[in-house]
Amino acid sequence: MADVIKIELVTPSEMLFSDSAEMVVIPGSEGVFGVLPRHAATLANLQRGTLNVYNNGAITRRFLIDGGVADVLPERVIILAERAVDLDAVSTQHLDEQLVNATEAEAAFVNAVKEAV
Amino acid sequence: MANLKDLKTRINSVKSTQKITSAMKMVAAAKLRRAQESAEANRPYSSRMQQVISGLASKASKATAPALLVGRETVKTHLLIVVSADKGLCGGFNGSIARQTRLEIKRLEEEGKSVLLYMVGKKAADNLGREITDKIFERVENLQGSNLDYNKVDTVSHKILTGFSDTSFDHVSIIYNQFVNAITQNVVVTPLIPVQINEDQEDTGASNYEYEPDENELLEQLLPRNVTTQIYSALLESFAAELAARMTAMDNATRNAGDMIDSLTLVYNRTRQANITKELIEIISGAEAL
Repeated sequence: MADVIKIELVTPSEMLFSDSAEMVVIPGSEGVFGVLPRHAATLANLQRGTLNVYNNGAITRRFLIDGGVADVLPERVIILAERAVDLDAVSTQHLDEQLVNATEAEAAFVNAVKEAV
Repeated sequence: MANLKDLKTRINSVKSTQKITSAMKMVAAAKLRRAQESAEANRPYSSRMQQVISGLASKASKATAPALLVGRETVKTHLLIVVSADKGLCGGFNGSIARQTRLEIKRLEEEGKSVLLYMVGKKAADNLGREITDKIFERVENLQGSNLDYNKVDTVSHKILTGFSDTSFDHVSIIYNQFVNAITQNVVVTPLIPVQINEDQEDTGASNYEYEPDENELLEQLLPRNVTTQIYSALLESFAAELAARMTAMDNATRNAGDMIDSLTLVYNRTRQANITKELIEIISGAEAL
């Protein structure tokens, strides 16, 4: 079995993802970067973008995150995002509801989610 | 002995008090579920954030790292953020916060430090009253339950960060009730600035982090965010703890009211019987006299 790295995606309101995977691709503020097991210790600022979890060479989970920070160690990654959405589980109807009383920043994020879906 | 009518009124008034306390207990229990869920949902985020930051702080060198992370060399003024409830009737909840605050102020003043207070919630401020009027840095109310959101906390932490950077104070800690379970709340004092370094931190062995973009820019964004996160999580914990305390207090009150009703009813019945007996004796002795 291939090497895996432990990934945790956490927002202030929930733990969105906590599992091991072969690779995760993270939208860093200086550019998108992939993290494989035994990655060098890195602390990276993030920007809005999709976070892809890879298993067996294919994307298995997709999330849209709205900035945050990633703490990468050789054996695990912690991604702290202020807002994040699971792109496979989100419904457009729910997003429209959120848009109704959203602040400007939230609305921008929700629209980005819509685009990504 | 009290007359029957008085006793009846008394029993009725205790009964209606009992209805109120048991309703308050139900309301607190219902709200507690939600508050507890949101407090627990926030825990992974704030603990991970704490882990990342304290990892950073333990590696940072005193000389070059920002003051938000490692603190200032000379600490003259402490800011205490005191989190209490806006409403009473929750047992020892507000009292224990006030007591801890008083202790903390005393301890710091004995060390020759001056103290400023950021009061969140109405009750602790009322409780401490005049002792603290000259120490108040800011007061906010109505920052709990459905009124509590991340953006509002952001304004609070912004204010604190501004105060820190223009050296109104050099050290910030937060005093709040931590929610343990429905019957236990712990008063805890946690330092916010500088960051608390966890001694039992997992030794990552990775002493040289790569930073992206560079270290300073990253810390500039991360440290304020950490302050907001820690305050936010303290407020969530405190609200859950308040509801739990209210639930327990109201449960006790309801039970006490029940005991009181029982004993009053006993007195009432005895008095009624005594009256009947008295009347019977009067009738019989009246009949015998004929």
